[in-house]
Amino acid sequence: MSGPGNPDPGPDPDLRAAEYALGTLDTLERAEMEREIAVDLGTAIRVRDWERRLAPLLDAVPPVAPSPRVRAALLQSLPGPLPGPSDQLAALRRQVRRWRITAAGAGLLAAGLALFVAVGLRQEPERGRYLAVVQGGGALPALIVRVDTHTGTAQVRPVGAEAPAGRNLQLWYVGAAGPKPLGLVGATPSRVKLPPGASPDGAIAVSVEPPGGSPTGQPTGPVVYTGKLIPE
Amino acid sequence: MADDDALRGLLAEVGRGDAAALARLYDLTSPKLFGVILRIQKDRGLAEDVLQDVYLRVWQAAGSYDPATGRPLTWLCIIARNRAIDVLRRKDTAEVQGPSEDYGEDWVARLMDPHDDATAFMYRDALSTCLSQLEPMHRDCVVLAYCEGHSREELALRHNRPVNTIKTWLHRALASLRTCLETVA
Repeated sequence: MSGPGNPDPGPDPDLRAAEYALGTLDTLERAEMEREIAVDLGTAIRVRDWERRLAPLLDAVPPVAPSPRVRAALLQSLPGPLPGPSDQLAALRRQVRRWRITAAGAGLLAAGLALFVAVGLRQEPERGRYLAVVQGGGALPALIVRVDTHTGTAQVRPVGAEAPAGRNLQLWYVGAAGPKPLGLVGATPSRVKLPPGASPDGAIAVSVEPPGGSPTGQPTGPVVYTGKLIPE
Repeated sequence: MADDDALRGLLAEVGRGDAAALARLYDLTSPKLFGVILRIQKDRGLAEDVLQDVYLRVWQAAGSYDPATGRPLTWLCIIARNRAIDVLRRKDTAEVQGPSEDYGEDWVARLMDPHDDATAFMYRDALSTCLSQLEPMHRDCVVLAYCEGHSREELALRHNRPVNTIKTWLHRALASLRTCLETVA
């Protein structure tokens, strides 16, 4: 494998993001962008900004009722209640493997973030221990968060999380009571305390905040990553 | 159309694997999403396949929806639109879709019609202001690409210009939009 290569990144990455959001890239260019969105937070944010800028055009599109058979087919095709943890872990293993290959091939992790691929997936399941793979929607986990509800702590391992210049990434536990701050995402693994009553039903999210974190105790910037807790 | 709170609640339930919530979400939002898809994928059968696929994706991804990133219906519409474009781009290459009338100006005119809450209206107002400042042919390309899923090649045919010219137009138009939206918003 010689890696994906990068023949012509184009003069302005923001215009490529714009064309992606606009829909005028061809299949190959779209696939390339999707790969970038998965591994590069800057790209993901650029695309999201453009999606937001253009989205008001969607208001102009008139609704059309689909045929009732779509609804029936959809409900019939639902693959059971929720993908089981084992499926998710298998998917995670694939993601990490894919990401390792990509990262090795393209040297994508330029940010000075520590690199932890040792996810420990081979461990036996333990009660009270959960894993969240916090990602921005693509193949690359951005953070791996291990939650131990017995000790009420979480261990945070940045894998591919990159903060925009002059901003911090802030970690949140999102439970029934809304988002609770867990602390800033640093360059190295850290251990944080979970809010009281944190349950495995919650999710972990990361938002972009001013330096030092959200001034309000609630996410103020865009939420760039989210991940559900899955039993380890 | 259902209000944002109801949709947020339903998305949360779908995220927890509640199939009945997915059915309710579908009932409330599928006409809008189907409208978005059908504008891009004009074959009704294929558009319905896309619609079904979109809700399956929503079923899997609803837990990752974050209210802070935008309104729930917009989130759903963007998934639908991206999916419709993916499918269209994958199969089209030579196949140019049916003739499109002069929708370009029509879309912008429809944007001017306020029927939503203040914030949504503000964004829409800013976008329509900025779109109206573009050169008419550039605006036509942006709007038809976004609303109808036109490729660069289709736009080139429509305007009888080389594809590279269309690309240049799009880039100019998008750069102007970016600058304008930063000023207006």
